[in-house]
Amino acid sequence: MDKSLIDFALRYIEKRGASYVEAKLESHETNELFLKNSIPEAISFLTTQGLGIRYIADGTLGFISTNCPEKNRLKTIIDKSLNLTKRSSKYREGIKLSEEKIHKKSYKIKQKINLRDISPEEKLKELVEADKAILSTKVKTPGRYISLTDKLVKKYLITSDGTEIQSEIPYVNLHYFLTITEKNKSSQRQWQYGNTAGWEAVKKWNIPKILKDEALVMKNNLTKGKVPPKGVLDVIVGPQISGIMVHESVGHPYEADRIFGREAAQAGESFITEDMIGKRIGSEIITVIDDPTVESSFGFYLYDDEGIGARKKILIKKGIINEFLHNRETAYKMGIKSNASARAENYSKEAIVRMSNSLLAPGDYTEEELIEDIKLGIFMKNFTEWNIDDKRFQQKYVGLDAYLIKNGKIMYPIIKPTLEITTPYLWNSIDAIGKNFEGHAAFCGKGEPMQAVPVWCGGASARLRNIRLN
Amino acid sequence: MEIKKYIKTRLEKQGFEDIIITKNILEAKQIKFSKNKIVKTGTELAEDLSFFLTKNKRILVTDLKELSKQNIDKFAKKSAKFIKNLPKNENYYGIAKGPFKYKNIKEFYDKKVLDINDIDLLEKGLNASFNQGIKRADGILEITKTKTELLTSNNAEAEQQSSSLYFSIRSFANKEASGHSNIVSRTLKKFDVEYAGKHSGEIAKKALNPQEGKEGKYDVIFDPLPLSGLIGDIGNACSIFSVEAGLSFLANKLKKQIASKAFTLIDDPLYLNGIGATKFDLEGIPTQKNILIKNGILQKYLHNTSTAKRYNTKTTANAGLIAPQPWNLVVKPGKTKQESLFKGIKKGIYITNLWYTRFTNYFTGDFSTIPRDGTFYIENGEIKYPIKNIRVSDNMLNLMKNIKEVANNVIQTKSWEAQEPAIIPSILVTNINITKPTQ
Repeated sequence: MDKSLIDFALRYIEKRGASYVEAKLESHETNELFLKNSIPEAISFLTTQGLGIRYIADGTLGFISTNCPEKNRLKTIIDKSLNLTKRSSKYREGIKLSEEKIHKKSYKIKQKINLRDISPEEKLKELVEADKAILSTKVKTPGRYISLTDKLVKKYLITSDGTEIQSEIPYVNLHYFLTITEKNKSSQRQWQYGNTAGWEAVKKWNIPKILKDEALVMKNNLTKGKVPPKGVLDVIVGPQISGIMVHESVGHPYEADRIFGREAAQAGESFITEDMIGKRIGSEIITVIDDPTVESSFGFYLYDDEGIGARKKILIKKGIINEFLHNRETAYKMGIKSNASARAENYSKEAIVRMSNSLLAPGDYTEEELIEDIKLGIFMKNFTEWNIDDKRFQQKYVGLDAYLIKNGKIMYPIIKPTLEITTPYLWNSIDAIGKNFEGHAAFCGKGEPMQAVPVWCGGASARLRNIRLN
Repeated sequence: MEIKKYIKTRLEKQGFEDIIITKNILEAKQIKFSKNKIVKTGTELAEDLSFFLTKNKRILVTDLKELSKQNIDKFAKKSAKFIKNLPKNENYYGIAKGPFKYKNIKEFYDKKVLDINDIDLLEKGLNASFNQGIKRADGILEITKTKTELLTSNNAEAEQQSSSLYFSIRSFANKEASGHSNIVSRTLKKFDVEYAGKHSGEIAKKALNPQEGKEGKYDVIFDPLPLSGLIGDIGNACSIFSVEAGLSFLANKLKKQIASKAFTLIDDPLYLNGIGATKFDLEGIPTQKNILIKNGILQKYLHNTSTAKRYNTKTTANAGLIAPQPWNLVVKPGKTKQESLFKGIKKGIYITNLWYTRFTNYFTGDFSTIPRDGTFYIENGEIKYPIKNIRVSDNMLNLMKNIKEVANNVIQTKSWEAQEPAIIPSILVTNINITKPTQ
């Protein structure tokens, strides 16, 4: 598609009376391959490209998407959209956007080893080697599903305010699902790795080692694991769990569109209210950030899908609620500037308030120091099942790679320790945070229609005191 | 079909053996509302041309945008060069041989669906909620028209046009008291937005002043909306792909009693007005009604031609070229009225919506899910009060075995998280494990 098409669309909608127009041309070139129980099922090479337009007319937000590049068809669909938006203005919300700085920028992530220079055979070799590495452990693994996806996303965004942003970001993503069995027992785990980088990131992961280690840890837990103790104890969570905790019970409830109720029908609202800025939500050592500018992270961007310059956002600062995640609409409602949190899955979805890389800021404890004064506790390094209610008030995490701690020492594996806890209790129970840092990839789903964007969840390990497991 | 035939010829010339060309054209509009105001309109037009190509057990899935003859020739040559270097899938055994004849599905396509008075429809749904005394409603109205054409190297040639309407409304009596209802239909005639508005409003009003729920074992009545995601999970567990990948709690259970006798699950792609209905599968085979679970006994797994050959069975016409999939799940209704399910329950919970279902282990079926919107404590056959902050933490096989009664109130619905549409009545399940946060 050529750029003149979105320029035409923008001018045409402006002429028809829209007070604001934002048009984006976006293409995704995606290669995906997966191995199921040693068999390469299929290789896919897909290109999606199209045009997404957001505009405000008669105080109502209209959104148009198409992958049909002919000017006349584009004109027809724009006319249909303007007609629908005009009819809808009977129930207008009167949407307004915050005033923002205009940017004209172009940026791209340089790939040290270009993904296009790697053949499908070479990519598949990574998975075949990983599959062999699992089998070499002699762990019974009746289910081995491993997929590797790379994608090049190109965007060109213009707005009627004069913003013009061009970007090119490569993504690499590993996803696996392992099922192991031992006598009549079984265990399952899925996980992901993701970066915005070239093939060098995949080589750095060392996929065969990841899968081999995973299979061995799962077997150790399944064969030697004991039931968790009853009563009150302490819990250390590793970055995979602290990351999902941050994502679910800090990131989501701090999305301002939830707070204002726009996504109430499906994605839900928030137990956090607009007037809670400055209120304490956790212990003094808790600082949570959302930072899209972390180099090579899965949630990386320098300008959001409204063309606003990205920055690090401090959601919780020393236990106090510091700021929410905003797009221009929610920023206007709170009388502030956007902090560049508007993201869309692709051209066919509207940009809504999203996280990028949500992280628990590191503290100053080593792993040994976190453990040493625990009389009775559990170290949960990773998890399987989790969920949280739609106000983000009560959540559950089921540990997989988990161990009993007794008198400052790690003793033996524990099977399925289950943490079912409210958000305020969780963030107030933490008394120590590790020095370590890990970013873990995920796709975060939100909105109706549902859309998923790449994020990192992660940060440091944390110690929770006086916890009752379920 | 002309351009597709030209492409097929060019691909055949390059030595491709199995070729499936699928063209989809989608036109859609949406009205998203929040706090009684329209917060977004959506208008969409999308055309996609996708390919499933094989050569000597090598499989390539790809697509094409620009359809000039020059570009098609380039595409055919490039694909042939690309597939040569791919690894073989030794488990692949081909696609079905056509030609086929297709049955027409009634109430499948309403060609004027995009021209209906959408605002009027929205108002009807909202007013039905407001008439229950509700002051706030949120949700979406979505109307879609789709045309699908399919052509294969084995002489299958198929085409269908379909329409769909979806109205989802969440009514709020206050911040803590809500009710949710979804309604889907192929045609306007059976698209009862007023039912959804009224139903969501009624639940919200009853949900005022919820008390903290308590953990323990309960008899649970699931309404159709919360069941839709769980029934989708059971349907997906019937796919041979899930069975092979370790993602099915129904693996190794063919012909075994895996659910109570009260439970019969059918995949019926020819169902009248079925939102998942389709005349043909992704190989172009005419679809058929498949009984998956009959009176609690697992009857069959879902197959495409290739997986069926591996298992020495017949395809169930559920391609999914890589993963066979259910089309339109139907739970056979019972004879009891929904309100009669409450009789005889000493200690129970009535669930009107669920969200965030996650599995600890798909192979064993261990899962948990969170009731949301109106959730009610039942004692001695009567609803006593609304409750909150609980979680269903159980196992799918337990749940299916503990189905005590299936009601006759069939509703076609789909949920936000699990998009598989299903036609489901309310179901009473005994001895369900309920947990809650410890702190």
